[in-house]
Amino acid sequence: MSVVKVQPTRMELIKLRRRIKMAKRGHALLKMKRDGLIMEFRELLEEAKKVIGGMAEKYEKAQQKLALAMAVDGVIAVKSIALSRQCEPRFVMHKKNIMGVVVPVIKRDEKIIKCVVEREYGVLGTTARIDEAVEAYEQLVDAILEVAEIETTIRRLIEEIEKTKRRVNALEYRVIPSMEEACKFIAFKLEEMDRENIIRLKKLKSKKAKRA
Amino acid sequence: MILKSKKSSWAYIVARVKVMKRRLIPSEEYRKLLNMDFNEIVRYLEETDYKREIDELAYKYSGPRLLDYALTLNLGRTYKKIQDVSFGVAKYLITEYLRRWDIWNIINVIRGKMAGVSAEEIEESLVPIGEYTIDFYKSLIPKEIDEIVKTFEGTPYYSALSKIGSEPLSIIEDELYKIYYQKLLKERPNEIALKLFMDFIRMEIDIKNIKTILRLKREDVSTDEIMKRIIPGGFEITEREAAKLSAMTWDELIKALEGYWFWKGIEGITDKSISRIEIKFDKAWMEIVAKRAINYPLSILPVLQYIVLKKIEVDNLRTLGWGKWQGIPNEEIEEQLVIL
Repeated sequence: MSVVKVQPTRMELIKLRRRIKMAKRGHALLKMKRDGLIMEFRELLEEAKKVIGGMAEKYEKAQQKLALAMAVDGVIAVKSIALSRQCEPRFVMHKKNIMGVVVPVIKRDEKIIKCVVEREYGVLGTTARIDEAVEAYEQLVDAILEVAEIETTIRRLIEEIEKTKRRVNALEYRVIPSMEEACKFIAFKLEEMDRENIIRLKKLKSKKAKRA
Repeated sequence: MILKSKKSSWAYIVARVKVMKRRLIPSEEYRKLLNMDFNEIVRYLEETDYKREIDELAYKYSGPRLLDYALTLNLGRTYKKIQDVSFGVAKYLITEYLRRWDIWNIINVIRGKMAGVSAEEIEESLVPIGEYTIDFYKSLIPKEIDEIVKTFEGTPYYSALSKIGSEPLSIIEDELYKIYYQKLLKERPNEIALKLFMDFIRMEIDIKNIKTILRLKREDVSTDEIMKRIIPGGFEITEREAAKLSAMTWDELIKALEGYWFWKGIEGITDKSISRIEIKFDKAWMEIVAKRAINYPLSILPVLQYIVLKKIEVDNLRTLGWGKWQGIPNEEIEEQLVIL
């Protein structure tokens, strides 16, 4: 450990002891935050696994439904329905706070999963296969947004956990030990100075006694 | 319009159509095609009437897209041929019946314009069937939507198209199809051969209406919304019947279908998969048309039967081609085929 460069004064010792006390309290708090974040992360991880699995299933289903619609109704019919989509699905990002970590919440501006009569194509010129393919893709888009939200939250949590871990480790293995060492050094120096003073006084006393 | 026809004119067109019908792929062949892979199917089609279209489009497309576009082009040419060889009332009725493709093309041009996609993409969604030519639709693509709507001033479609901007396109699309059927039902035939045409159209309306009711019922759409999409003038499913059916629950509705002319074809449906039920309806309808066409050989029915059979053949071949390409299991492909 590096040599501590501090003034060996009583004032400095008091200050250092106060700082150690504060650092230890901070260390305990950060440790609690880290543990809390890890617990939150584990819960989210389980949810993310489910959501991502669901998205993969929905993707497969959507592909199958599209394949069937392409097969029976033809590429022209599917292309025609694709043209009916006037705009992309819109969403708004909101913020949520999890133990000081700001995470996004995706709010759908308009309903993504729509009923047949709410869609931009007519019923009389299309078939149920087209409905099924469109519905499967609407569900997929909704699942993608859910995954995006949970994935971003998990990424932010991981970043925060890493940051907190670094702080905890820095406090535990570097800041607090070095301050304690400095504290010990000052205490030792002060004791040394005390001892020197006593000896000096004793010597002066003995000299005075000899002279007398 | 009061329609009159001569028996001799039917004899000519029916004879021409009979010859064309013989060239359709027989039902037994589909079993063979089911066991082939995609390339084998294309090779098989290269030995049929589809060769010309496949060769013609091979420079532009490949794989199942080539097959899809070639089949559509062939369908368009076949319909054009029927129109060309027919005359008099037969020609008039066939032309009127094929106008549904005009609606398809008009809607696609407007949809494409609204979505702001490229001209090539819009052109790819057009089908060369109907009163207007593909070149006519291509000339519409660079125009603004208002100008496109103005082009149809004086046609029956204008009343619906003029609502673009104030009403959703889905409503306008359904309205166009309603106009199409209403126009067909306006004809006043005074002989049995032509009355059969009306029955054919009214039966088609029944099939459309029942499909609409089932599709919307599955999603719990209200009766009012369903009724907005019902085509008036059905054979058995009139507006009143449709209102009665749409007010029922799913199970009641399935039970209530018993007794309608299409019931035999859909008997025993249990699942809510409308795409499978739709195929059954098409089969039931085609079987009835085939029976009637045999009973009335000198009428428009054999011609209409051929028109629908050709469409079914194209749909079946497309299903086989795409199905094989996408690796859909044989059983699932077979379920989607209309084999009579």
